[in-house]
Amino acid sequence: MGIKERPEGNEQSTIFLPDFCNIGMVFAVVVLAELMAFAILLTTPYSFALSWDKLGVLSLFIQWIALSSIGLLCVSRKWLIRYSDTRAGILSYLIVLSVTWVVAECAWWSMIYTGMPDNNDMHRDFILRTLGVSAILSGISLRVIYLQYQQKIHIQAHANARIQALQARIRPHFLFNSMNTIAALIRSQPENAEEAVEDLSDLFRASLGKTSQLISLSEEVEMAKRYLRIEQLRLGDRLKVTWTLGDLPEQAQLPVLTLQPLLENAIFHGIEMLPAGGEIHVSGSRKGDLLTIQIDNPCLPPQQSQRTNGTQTAVNNIDERLRIAFGKQAGLSLERQEQSCQLTITFPMTEGE
Amino acid sequence: MNILITDDEALARVRLRALVEELGHSVVAEASHGEQALQLCETNSPDIILLDIRMPGMGGIETARHIMSLDNPPAVIFTTAFNEHALQAFETNAVDYLLKPIRKEKLDLSLNKASRLNKAQMTKLSEQEQEVRTHICARNHNSISLVPVANIMYFMADQKYISVVSSEAEVLIEDSLKALEEEFSGLFTRVHRNALVAIEHIRSLEKSSDGAHYLLLKNCDKTLDVSRRHVPAVRKLIRDMG
Repeated sequence: MGIKERPEGNEQSTIFLPDFCNIGMVFAVVVLAELMAFAILLTTPYSFALSWDKLGVLSLFIQWIALSSIGLLCVSRKWLIRYSDTRAGILSYLIVLSVTWVVAECAWWSMIYTGMPDNNDMHRDFILRTLGVSAILSGISLRVIYLQYQQKIHIQAHANARIQALQARIRPHFLFNSMNTIAALIRSQPENAEEAVEDLSDLFRASLGKTSQLISLSEEVEMAKRYLRIEQLRLGDRLKVTWTLGDLPEQAQLPVLTLQPLLENAIFHGIEMLPAGGEIHVSGSRKGDLLTIQIDNPCLPPQQSQRTNGTQTAVNNIDERLRIAFGKQAGLSLERQEQSCQLTITFPMTEGE
Repeated sequence: MNILITDDEALARVRLRALVEELGHSVVAEASHGEQALQLCETNSPDIILLDIRMPGMGGIETARHIMSLDNPPAVIFTTAFNEHALQAFETNAVDYLLKPIRKEKLDLSLNKASRLNKAQMTKLSEQEQEVRTHICARNHNSISLVPVANIMYFMADQKYISVVSSEAEVLIEDSLKALEEEFSGLFTRVHRNALVAIEHIRSLEKSSDGAHYLLLKNCDKTLDVSRRHVPAVRKLIRDMG
């Protein structure tokens, strides 16, 4: 289990040990313990028919162990959650084993008390068998709990990624600024306004579609150019864009709206923040079956740019989408110099049907 | 009423001018960035300034902060396309703002009730926005000058004033070294009870024959005294810079 040390003050939902004080959990443990008593009895030959009293004793014994264990886990959870998952798991395991040992000892001595002859070998044998069964079953239970927890985390991460995907692609800032531009154009340049509305519609249609959809590079570049046309209206000659995609194959496939968010990023954090604007340079190159597209743009020096977590969201998001679509060889890298930023995406050449 | 429009986008200014004029007011000037807005406020003394928040260089909130140091500052109405964070700060401090694309009726309403910002509002706003100024605004007699923070080499406290020494000029401001130190932590460091130095501009720490420490600065002949209790911190800083 690869588990990292947990930072302070984490949410309850990110802790793998479930709440053992929960009534549903108690019920589940009681039922499981009872089933175990049945199972043990079933494995003892010739004993089933005549042994309701044996079942009773066995149940009592197992329930004692099970309920004391979860009782103790319930009380100590507050303290266990401060540790990493591995440590919390090992500690819980030790708690269950200690409880088993104590209960087994009590059981043994109560049997002696009720008249069973004492025998050292039998005593050791009884304790070890009980501990062995408990070790195996509690080990399995903890493992199941851990797997369940991991699955939950996975689902949560997936859902978050999807929400982020949507947010990263439709930046409200862009929408409202475009609307403002269009409102201004309607009076003075109605034809440009019309074109801007068409471009904006195409962009939104694409962004409302499936995130995993692949389109050809030429279509993706066309989409990016629609976006840039709108921004050009708004920023005027502060925005310059040059394309040198060179020998990149036009029919190469990539996830829809991969370039647009990266260009938006270059404008939002770069061009727009510079009084004189600047030039975005989009270039492409091919090495065998691996294609790279690089976006270069001037940006503010790191100490002057405030609140840049937006960049990180967009970058992580595209990186993840490329990896989902193409596996490990695809991805995105970000480089930052004093006055310029560079984003590079890499993906393998694939052709659509 | 006389109105100054400030927005870095030409089309946004065109639309705003049209709306303002349709409402029967006059546009005295248009500015495309904060520094220009500040100068135009001085020369044209508008009644109201419409100020975009997100502009390159000096943003709207910082511009408003400098505008308040004018003798006869105009009333400020902020404009923005989208900025959830700032809007919350505006709401809590009762600062007027308009959302783009701006509606004519809303603009009319805002222009009619526009009032000057007060110091308390502006201080709170800057705090909540965790804004760090990109410029220091200095006044001498009737004119104001803006000094880019990136060019400042050090602040030196002197009785009532603080002198701001940059690569181009030296100006006096009224402020406290403590407040400046807090605002620009990470960019400037205290080397003496009366001096705050730009970390970027430090060249080396030297020791004179009588055992006192002093700093050499890049591109500047002047040396600065370092008081004994600041020596370890300054030394560590220089070492960390490599």
